[in-house]
Amino acid sequence: MKKKITALVLASAMVVSLVACGNADQSAPAASTDSAPAAEESTDAAADTDADVNEEAPAQAGDLAYTTLNLDDYKDFSASIKYIHHKTDREEDGTIAAMIAEFNKDFPNITVTTEAVTDYAEDSLLRLTTGDWGDIMHIPAVDKSDLATYFMPLDTLDNLSSQLNFVSSWSYDGLCYGIPYMANAQGVLYNKKVFQDAGITTLPKTPDEFLDDLQLIKDNTDAIPLYTNYAAGWTMGAWDAYVGIVSNGDDTYMNQKLVHTANPFADPGDGSGAYNVYRILYDACAKGLIEDDYTTTDWEGCKGMLNRGEIGTMVLGSWAYAQMQEAGDTPENVGYMPFPMTVGGVQYVAAGGDYNYGINANASDENKTAALIFVKWMTEKSDWCYNEGGYTVVKGGKNPDMYAAFDGCTVLSDQDAIDGEADYLNQMNSESELSINAGGNDKVQKIVEAGATGSQDFASIMDEWNQKWSDAQEELGIEVLY
Amino acid sequence: MKKKRTFGEWARSQDGQKLFVIVTFMIVPLVLLFVFTYLPFGEMFGYSFFNMKYTGARKYVGLKNYLKVFQRDDCFKALKLSLYYMVGSVIQLGLALYLATVLSFKVKAGGLFKGLMFFPYLINGIAIGFIFKFFYTRGFVFDTVLQWCGFELENLPYWLKDQSINNWSLVGTSVWRYFGQNMVLFIGAIMSVDNDLYEAAMLDGANNFQQFKYIILPSIKTIITLNVILSITGSLSAFEPPYVITSGANGTGTYFVVMHEIAHTQQKVGLASAMAIVLLTIILAATGLQKLFFKYVWRED
Repeated sequence: MKKKITALVLASAMVVSLVACGNADQSAPAASTDSAPAAEESTDAAADTDADVNEEAPAQAGDLAYTTLNLDDYKDFSASIKYIHHKTDREEDGTIAAMIAEFNKDFPNITVTTEAVTDYAEDSLLRLTTGDWGDIMHIPAVDKSDLATYFMPLDTLDNLSSQLNFVSSWSYDGLCYGIPYMANAQGVLYNKKVFQDAGITTLPKTPDEFLDDLQLIKDNTDAIPLYTNYAAGWTMGAWDAYVGIVSNGDDTYMNQKLVHTANPFADPGDGSGAYNVYRILYDACAKGLIEDDYTTTDWEGCKGMLNRGEIGTMVLGSWAYAQMQEAGDTPENVGYMPFPMTVGGVQYVAAGGDYNYGINANASDENKTAALIFVKWMTEKSDWCYNEGGYTVVKGGKNPDMYAAFDGCTVLSDQDAIDGEADYLNQMNSESELSINAGGNDKVQKIVEAGATGSQDFASIMDEWNQKWSDAQEELGIEVLY
Repeated sequence: MKKKRTFGEWARSQDGQKLFVIVTFMIVPLVLLFVFTYLPFGEMFGYSFFNMKYTGARKYVGLKNYLKVFQRDDCFKALKLSLYYMVGSVIQLGLALYLATVLSFKVKAGGLFKGLMFFPYLINGIAIGFIFKFFYTRGFVFDTVLQWCGFELENLPYWLKDQSINNWSLVGTSVWRYFGQNMVLFIGAIMSVDNDLYEAAMLDGANNFQQFKYIILPSIKTIITLNVILSITGSLSAFEPPYVITSGANGTGTYFVVMHEIAHTQQKVGLASAMAIVLLTIILAATGLQKLFFKYVWRED
């Protein structure tokens, strides 16, 4: 009898502990709601933002909106929020902590905890589906139609774009769900001293000039002309950034026309187009203008190498500029130039937001308010974008010196997709598996392999891509218009 | 006639107690097994019939995903890479069996050797990946060691760049990692062989090879079968070395790496689930074939 009771107690204890595990997650946010004093200012906000956004007039963002939020009104606001982001390097070197300390001088009662997630693109998507990941995150690759499910609208697109640049990338039905923490103007990193030693006096403006310059670097210096960063993988995706504006001067191409374009990777014959963007890489590999053993290179190591002049050029977004400067003793030699491509006599530069701040739609009211305060402060007061060498997010804000070489170029940013077609590019990317500007690194790696080993000629790679693109258009029933 | 017992009486009877004890002990592991293994597996099986991403709407497509697995040229081409790993696992088992036999006899510093050879198995697979990334880098560890042995750097291949050998380089890391573990399992089995048999064999004038062939091998055939099946299954689902060392690029993308790419970069969750089910079927078939094979090999003459 006694044994039986013991067994029963044991069994029930086990069951209870299992159930308790399940409950712990749900009770945590509830507890934090209780501990924070209710915020008078934002009591109505939840009702509005919780309501299905699509049913409201498209230009309503609820009471809580970026442009109408006056930071000075909230000096005593108290809440505790969590911010998850991908900047592991800035978390480790204390930049984020320093910014939050600065933030707490203005808003002493808002506690911000942060978490930097490695492998962000994948992990954040998984976390997003759990619902209680925190209050602010850098928006991962979700479908635009799902934005309202996960994120709070920050303001209407019209209001926001009057004050900020690059806010259209995460907008849907006239509402904006994300604000970029910094913006990038896409160009090419180079070492000024290497260029000088190689005898290059003017920066290249076309793919052929660029390839000639790489050859000069190889002939006249010891530097590696073009460092591909093949081994790191994710760095190869940077080449996709020039498919948009840079290769054709059309700011509607990436988000509106590409999905409707027949054979977007065909050779236009004039040295422009996506074809010639990737051809630079293929030809550089074929001519041996890249690192010797591209499969075993080390991403962290390449930063110092560029800084010291052991590398001539690297094709990466402007975000990499600051890191290259910090990596050695000769930051003054690190330069940034527009991508070597000229369309109709003009060199175009694509600029656009990096990861965007997004606020959890399922957070409590005061957490939403505090999160918006934080986002607004980060955008306007933190100087993070400037310090990272970013192109200014705030309209009329200051730009770093690195963009000096961009004078005379036309800077454009990608237009938003046409209403009702917002998901097309994501769907096409997924269906065709080319994932242009969406982590399609392996397709670019294959160009390096083919170029270096001569296993496949460039035109046939582009033919394959065109084929995949047409197949995907057919599969998804997307009309070919261009 | 047997008296009908009340529930209370039944519960106190031996039958009732037995059932109760069984249920109490089994329920926790069974619930865990169900919740964390069978339930997710069932879910995944369901996913394989849908065209879906992690987020957003899903569309039922029937068997289309399975058709695609067989039509795509990258899925089964990736499976061919498993042959490299299978050859590797044969080498690995042979090496393990040889060393186990040697070490199970009296050897100087035997414990130290066992420890050193088992050690790689204890290192995290990701760490091993990084170790070998530097190990194979041009002019680094491996090349330096070979240069000590008199090789010229110019004559050495690029271990990860050259597509004709990079898979062997990766297989090498896998062999290095797992042969110690196989060896320890073999030693354990060899230890359980009765010492009298060796003595009797020696009196009869059997040499070491004959002892191995007629005493050790028959005594440890179960563990050999098990190790072979585990290694072949492991070869079919090789993931860590190509994923960490080459990220599946340059012709080293095994079936698992391709599946990972499709599931996480392209977000074709349905297709990736179908790939997983197909792989499971292949593994089950391979295991069945091996069982038949060993039944034939170990048959009593």
